[in-house]
Amino acid sequence: MHSPNAVLRRLKQLLYFAVAVTAFVVPEAHDLHAQTPKPTEYEVEAAYLSNFGRFVEWPARAGAATEPFNVCVLGADPFGPLLDAALKGETIAGAPMAAKRISKPEEAASCRIVFVGSVKDSQLNGILQSLRVSNALTVSDMSGFSRRGGMIQFVLDGNRVRFEINLAAVQRTGLTVSSELLKVAQAVRRAP
Amino acid sequence: MLKVRNYSIRQKLTWMNMLVSGAALLLACTAFAGYELTDFRQTLVQGLSIQAQIVGANSASSLLFNDPEAARNTLSALTAAPNIISASIFTPDGVLFATYSRDNSPARPPMPVMNAGQIETYQFTADELILVRAIEFQGKRIGTVGIRSSLREVNDRLLRYAGIVVAVLLVSLLAAFAFSSVLQKATARPIAQLAETARIVSREKKYSIRAPAARNADEIGGLIDAFNQMLEQIQERDSALEAARDELELRVAQRTSQLEAVNRELESFTYSVAHDLRAPLRHIQGFADALTEEGSERLDTAAKGYLNSIIDSTRRMDQLINDLLGLAQVGRRELRILPVQLKPLVEDVVRDLALETQGRSIEWRVGDLPTVDCDPGLAKQVFYNLLSNAAKYSRPRDPAVIEAGQTILNGERILFVRDNGVGFNMKYAHKLFGVFERLHRREDFEGTGVGLATVQRIIHKHGGRIWAEAAIDQGATFFFTLTAPISTSARPEAVETI
Repeated sequence: MHSPNAVLRRLKQLLYFAVAVTAFVVPEAHDLHAQTPKPTEYEVEAAYLSNFGRFVEWPARAGAATEPFNVCVLGADPFGPLLDAALKGETIAGAPMAAKRISKPEEAASCRIVFVGSVKDSQLNGILQSLRVSNALTVSDMSGFSRRGGMIQFVLDGNRVRFEINLAAVQRTGLTVSSELLKVAQAVRRAP
Repeated sequence: MLKVRNYSIRQKLTWMNMLVSGAALLLACTAFAGYELTDFRQTLVQGLSIQAQIVGANSASSLLFNDPEAARNTLSALTAAPNIISASIFTPDGVLFATYSRDNSPARPPMPVMNAGQIETYQFTADELILVRAIEFQGKRIGTVGIRSSLREVNDRLLRYAGIVVAVLLVSLLAAFAFSSVLQKATARPIAQLAETARIVSREKKYSIRAPAARNADEIGGLIDAFNQMLEQIQERDSALEAARDELELRVAQRTSQLEAVNRELESFTYSVAHDLRAPLRHIQGFADALTEEGSERLDTAAKGYLNSIIDSTRRMDQLINDLLGLAQVGRRELRILPVQLKPLVEDVVRDLALETQGRSIEWRVGDLPTVDCDPGLAKQVFYNLLSNAAKYSRPRDPAVIEAGQTILNGERILFVRDNGVGFNMKYAHKLFGVFERLHRREDFEGTGVGLATVQRIIHKHGGRIWAEAAIDQGATFFFTLTAPISTSARPEAVETI
């Protein structure tokens, strides 16, 4: 007959064995995932576009519940199908997210987020001015975008995609950005 | 175990109390400690879970916008929780995103694997609790957080509990011992006293003592009362028995003295009757003799025959009266005890008898005979009666052989007188020594039936005994002793009737 101590010791051994087995299994799983190809810059940006909306407090709009949450691309579209893929099946506050291509700033009335594709420098001020009416969150990867009145600008930090936020521009439209978003921003421009 | 069985009730009660209270306390303490331990573990898991949720909520943007720096900042807030050893955040793919370690050790133990659909899991090892929780953001799983917490606090608490349990047990057992020492007095002491009393009673046969009465009316009190009642009953029975015995002894003594008085009366009555009968008998004899001498020529033959019958009868009556007087005198006389040489005494008797039995052919044999302390006159009468009896009942023999001698029986010296006469049927041996009892017809053998009664009375008066052995036509032997057996104390004078 085993003493209670012997039984305890045996249980302990079994536990360690189980832990040791998982120790071999789990890192292996991590390695497998690590081998997937690194996402491209536009893939990352598309994912960011699907996530920005979650850290912004949106003012109520008529029929907001039934209306899709549109992420629009103004001008040249660098994403192609990548953006549609990133938004597929995603929802914000119950509204399904959708990608929409627009060619004029005036079409942005139904857009929550507007990504400004590459446009001429001379046109940017006018575009930003027009977009201000739509109360949409403006995003672009153009250099100087946030400095010139854009709200979020993608920047490359090495090969990592990061972003700057022009908080003053966001606040002017009546949107509120979560501090969580500001926390991960590379730079935040505040009102002077 | 055999030793435990022999413990006193007091010890048994004490042990019982200690064991019961000890077992109850041990169970209670173990249950409380077990409950507290599981409860504490549950609390620990909950606390860790909340921390994981906070970390998860605060690192959602870091994960979504690929900012491990911010995640590390969030994790470093865990410095405030001293029990947390390390924490890590993983992407949904399982890739390590950010990590924190209290002592900056790079070694990271494996995390428990969550099953599909699980939001949180945890695992206890010997000294750690590892909790893994999914990070969800707006209904979407965006990563996992794993936290390792030290169990030293729990283990310390467990140790403290064990210490408290041991201390409580010890103190409680001491208290139980003290209480049971006091309480068992009410139970064990009366039993012990009862047992002691019973021991004394059975050892010293003293039924007058009593077990101290119990104050309680429980089974022990009942037992003690019943025991005391039993003692009382025994005592009563004893005194009743004693009274009955005393009364019996008194009655025996009374009867004895009554019988002795009656016996003496009877003896004096016999003596006076016999004595008074003599005077008229002398007259009858005298006148019958006168008639024979002076008037016989005037009587015819028939009258002469009648006269002879009268003379014959008076002679026999005279003999009878003499014998009865002798018998009565034996009872009245004081014994005169001397050392008596029996051989010359018996030879004297034989000489007399030889004269009386002239003309018969008798062979007298007097064997070796001892010197005995006895009354010489009465001893002579014993031998005379027995030897003359022998001569009488051996009359049909020619020659008759009559022997007096001694023999040893069971170490005792026995005297005997033996003849080769007609003997008697042993069936009537008990009648042999009765007064006026005769085993033969007077027509065959004359006699008064007083001789053997006299012999027996003399022998009894000496403390001796007599018996006879015989068979019809085979002769008879009378065995007797003239003194009490040496081994036993002098037998009291036998009480007998005439």
